Amino acid sequence: MSSRKQARDGLALAHALPDRSLIAMVAAMSLLAALTFAGAFGARELSARWARGAANLMTVQVPDPEKPAIVPSDSAAASRADAVLSLLQTLPSLRRAHRLDTQELDRLLAPWLGNTGTSALPLPAVVEVDLTSGATLPDTFVTTVQSEAPGTLIERNDDWREQLHAIARSLLVCAALAITLVGGIAAAVIGMATRLGLGARRDSLIILHGLGAPDGYVAGRFARRVALLAFGGGALGTILAVLPIAVVSRLMAPLSGAAVSHETWPSLLRDSLHSLTIGGTSTDLLIGLGCIPLIMTILGWGTAQTIVRIWLRRLP
Amino acid sequence: MIRLEKVTWQHGPSAGRERETLANISFAVPQGGFRWLLGPSGAGKSSLLRLLHLEALPRSGTCELLGTSITPHVKRSALARLRQRISMVHQDYRLMPTLSIADNVGLPLRLQKRDEDEVAQEVSTLLTWMGLGARQSSCPAELSGGEQQRTAIARAVVSRPAIILADEPTNALDEAQAVRVLTMLRELTAMGTTVIVATHNDALVRRYPAPALHLEHGKLIGDE
Ligand SMILES: Nc1ncnc2c1ncn2[C@@H]1O[C@H](COP(=O)(O)OP(=O)(O)OP(=O)(O)O)[C@@H](O)[C@H]1O
Ligand SMILES: [Mg+2]
Repeated sequence: MSSRKQARDGLALAHALPDRSLIAMVAAMSLLAALTFAGAFGARELSARWARGAANLMTVQVPDPEKPAIVPSDSAAASRADAVLSLLQTLPSLRRAHRLDTQELDRLLAPWLGNTGTSALPLPAVVEVDLTSGATLPDTFVTTVQSEAPGTLIERNDDWREQLHAIARSLLVCAALAITLVGGIAAAVIGMATRLGLGARRDSLIILHGLGAPDGYVAGRFARRVALLAFGGGALGTILAVLPIAVVSRLMAPLSGAAVSHETWPSLLRDSLHSLTIGGTSTDLLIGLGCIPLIMTILGWGTAQTIVRIWLRRLP
Repeated sequence: MIRLEKVTWQHGPSAGRERETLANISFAVPQGGFRWLLGPSGAGKSSLLRLLHLEALPRSGTCELLGTSITPHVKRSALARLRQRISMVHQDYRLMPTLSIADNVGLPLRLQKRDEDEVAQEVSTLLTWMGLGARQSSCPAELSGGEQQRTAIARAVVSRPAIILADEPTNALDEAQAVRVLTMLRELTAMGTTVIVATHNDALVRRYPAPALHLEHGKLIGDE
């Protein structure tokens, strides 16, 4: 007799399980999981990128900029705007402090006030401050500014960054919940398919059990077969998800700083595929997507093991 | 070694049944012993053999098989190992419909992870001896009742188990084949195998005199 690889124990699992529907269902679940994961990943990347850009910026508004500042008696009298500017110059983390001139202010306010010119309005001085990354303001800085030019507004974009992070975090939590749910549904589907297979092989299982086949043997046979099918479904679903993900990530590219524009669909597709193959797509994203078939395989193996062992408990 | 003491068992849940399938059964068979299991239809012969084959666990009483005491606390893995040493020829044969005759007979050896060459050798020899040499690659459905019964007997003896339980193993066989099978079973006892054969065939019992367990209405009425 030749040493056929196939186990000749009468279970004939190649015909016992609903192969095609199991693969299709697991593929659908994997597709959903892949899209959810990629969406969450993209949101996180985008927010991180925007937050990075905003982190080092600070805006200082000085109302009544030309009025004299309240300065220590030994210093020369200066305007409030100049006092704030010179205080800013003392910051060790300062990279650049730029007071917007009238034209720049006009441009900034044009959407609200139109092009009527702003010189007539009592506008505050606006100073754009660029700090070195990760810099914190000394505690005394704000109080000193307030004592010399009361009413000055210091706006760090930190608050905005916090908000971006919060949004990204809640998106990630939602995605994690959705992926968990998808995993649960996949496990349920796999469990039902396994039950069907057990039902189809009921008599053979009783015979095998009577011949002394340990639970581990039978559970292992089912688990290997189910894991193989789950891997097939997982791989199929993930592959199907890759193209839409590539397209969306290409469309998102300009938002995260890359200068690309696509006039036509073919060029967009070409570019998407190109970015997938030439490493334009984040490796973390690709690794995450690659994990989906593996997770489905483990899920299939574990679910089948559990269901079969529970089923066998009805036999002593 | 088989030892039962005051064993009681019944089909289904204990409530709502007028009497137990097996009531208060006590007997012992030493290793290498042979017993006929006799009694009218419905007496509980198959039920007793199923109990000894560990297809069900006794409700009460003590049961000891091959040195292992069978209680509800025995590990499942221990029961599985025990089943590999206790073979049963079922009244309805219980062959795997998807496997060839040779693979059916080789199954106990494969479950014991025996070498493939050894499996092929043993199976082929045994099937030839059983007069099934030409049917090795057939499916059970393509066989006559007697051929299926001989396959079931071959599967029960191929792994040289410590206990063989046979439920009317000759009812589909002709006289000559029945004698052949009984001779083989008696020879196996000489090699240390414990054998219990349930039968209605009085002629066969007369031909092979041996101690018998008499069952009636689930009770053991004679053990001689
Ligand atoms: N699956 C079952 N569910 C309920 N009762 C059963 C079941 N199988 C058998 N019985 C009952 O158990 C009793 C013993 O049956 P068993 O098959 O052990 O008899 P037997 O001595 O082997 O008979 P036979 O010589 O006809 O094979 C019978 O009264 C039968 O009706
Ligand atoms: Mg019977």
